[in-house]
Amino acid sequence: MSNNAFWIILQKLRAPLLVIIITYSIAILGMVLIPGMDDNGKVYHLSFFDAFYFVSYMASTIGFGEAPYTFTYAQRLWVTLCIYITVVGWFYGIGALVTAVTDKTLKFEMMRNRFRKKVREIRDDFVIILGYTYVNLEIIKKFHASNIKVVLIDEDEEKISHFLLEEASQDVPVMVGNALLTETLEDAGILLSNCKAIVSLFKNEENNLRIAILTKFLNSKVKVIAKSTYKDITVSLLDTDIAKAVNPFEIFTKRVDIALESPHILVLENWIYENSDLMDKAMFLPKGKYIVCGYGRFGKLLHDMFEKHNLESVFIDEKRIASVEMIESRKFIRANPDDRETLLNAGVKEAVGLIVGTQNDIDNLSIIITAKKLNPNIYLIARENTMQEVSIFQAAKIDWLFMFEKILINKTSLALTRPLKHRFLKLILKKDEEWGKKLVRLLRVNIGTNPIITSLKINENDSYAIYHEILDGQNVPVDVLLRSLSNWQENNKIVPLLIHRANEEILIPKNRDLKIGDEILFACDKKGKEEIELIASNIYELYYAMYGQEKESPILKKLLG
Amino acid sequence: MNLQKVVSGFFFILAMTINFGFFYGDIDNPELHSEYELFVAFVVSLISTVLKIGDKTQLGAVLLATSLVADIQLLSAVIVWTVTEYLSIVDVEAFAAIISLSGGALLANITSVVLYVGETLKSKR
Repeated sequence: MSNNAFWIILQKLRAPLLVIIITYSIAILGMVLIPGMDDNGKVYHLSFFDAFYFVSYMASTIGFGEAPYTFTYAQRLWVTLCIYITVVGWFYGIGALVTAVTDKTLKFEMMRNRFRKKVREIRDDFVIILGYTYVNLEIIKKFHASNIKVVLIDEDEEKISHFLLEEASQDVPVMVGNALLTETLEDAGILLSNCKAIVSLFKNEENNLRIAILTKFLNSKVKVIAKSTYKDITVSLLDTDIAKAVNPFEIFTKRVDIALESPHILVLENWIYENSDLMDKAMFLPKGKYIVCGYGRFGKLLHDMFEKHNLESVFIDEKRIASVEMIESRKFIRANPDDRETLLNAGVKEAVGLIVGTQNDIDNLSIIITAKKLNPNIYLIARENTMQEVSIFQAAKIDWLFMFEKILINKTSLALTRPLKHRFLKLILKKDEEWGKKLVRLLRVNIGTNPIITSLKINENDSYAIYHEILDGQNVPVDVLLRSLSNWQENNKIVPLLIHRANEEILIPKNRDLKIGDEILFACDKKGKEEIELIASNIYELYYAMYGQEKESPILKKLLG
Repeated sequence: MNLQKVVSGFFFILAMTINFGFFYGDIDNPELHSEYELFVAFVVSLISTVLKIGDKTQLGAVLLATSLVADIQLLSAVIVWTVTEYLSIVDVEAFAAIISLSGGALLANITSVVLYVGETLKSKR
């Protein structure tokens, strides 16, 4: 039976209903049996209706008085007894009803019904987000910005109440529930065909794995974005085939890696994430000795990365311990990094860079200040943990500030909202400095410092004209889309970045013929974006862009003969 | 032996037997049908309905449905009797309606008891 709330009420009311029925019937039967006396002194019996009428207003304490005639003492004795049993039964019933309505399980069932209904009313694609955190809130905002619907689940009722106060909570179905249960996921619509992905960024990473496995069995068409910083969990996650593992530690280490070798790629990455414009001066990270505060999972990744570059590095951590080898070669110091002596001991004076990655913002700031005093030229990379200390971090003049939460937000939302952009980013991360420098220059010369990114899909809806041209057997090279509609021999400010088709990915395509189903990513300015859309969908504009002549309207042609 | 089973079985069967007691006799002779019996039949039927609430199985649902049918039939009989008596229009037709309504309730009660007994026989415990 689907309507659980109704059954919960009924079941809770079983005992009080029985009490009311039994007390009423005893009272009514007694009233009918006990003889009364009418105005003329004749003996008379109340009918069942009289008795029911009297007991009804007696039990509910309305009390209209003795009817139809004044009672005899025998009747009054019985009524006295009845008052106590029926009134108590009645109050018990009302009390039980109120308790049942305010009951937690009932409230939960009602909320759940509302939630299920709201989720099933969503017509567009949507994403399930598990847990309400700062990171997930930012992700929800980004989804809203690109018109993707969101469903939120959290175990904590208080957190849900907090979320409902946020502006972003409009139109978001929310439910209090344990996301690790199949039932909850089904309520959240995981079986629906328009559920596209599920975001699971729990701190407890085993939960993320569990979600991925559950999802695989429930609906393997749903993508899972899961946070995972442990190696074995990542491996198991990827084994499910549907999960994408996001490891913020690894992403940031990769960035440092790129910054050491090919800073222009990093410039491109920041531009793609919309963190900054395309800067001209891409700086190499200084090469030399690095000091890293904190040797957890993040520190270990940094260690491997520095080894790869043959750079000297010293790690300082108070709580964790490294291998004997590292301690003996003085690459690890077990001490409080927030200490002048320790930093001197680690060689802060001859170091070129300092990475502060502890989980305490105040510690991080304090280490930075001490280090800066000891070595004013040192390159500072600092981790920021909460949003509360933003202004202080800005005042501390840190060369490179990072926040794992922001990395998670950017990565997750880019992968889900702009998959083509995400694909492009993945491809360029493998390229070298020379390639990056060339592309940055190309973009800056052709478009400007802040090109916008737009994409086009070759299908009947998004690019009507090109779609039919290709169906007719014509070759449409990608360069046609670059041409200016005021003069076809000139190009707009557009650079095609990527063509993605079934088994092929072409970076910076030139003179390639388009195929049906292609997805193309462009960097361009505003005018360029408008004209790409015009050429793609309007047959007259496409004809002009291809041949430099006005296409004759087929209808006019017929009419004019 | 389960006390809950005893109590619910008692009321289900009592509802049927009292209903039969009221129903039995010439349909047009008020002297053969006691109003007290109708009252008790109605109350017991209500009690057995409440006892059937909460069983979410398929059989529980059918049992509840039969009980609701009996309740409605008996309630109609009670209302017809009350209304006709106070408006002083008790005639053979009205009385026959009362008895036949209770006859319908009796059928529902018999169905309910048959189902209940059947389930008990099927039970392995």
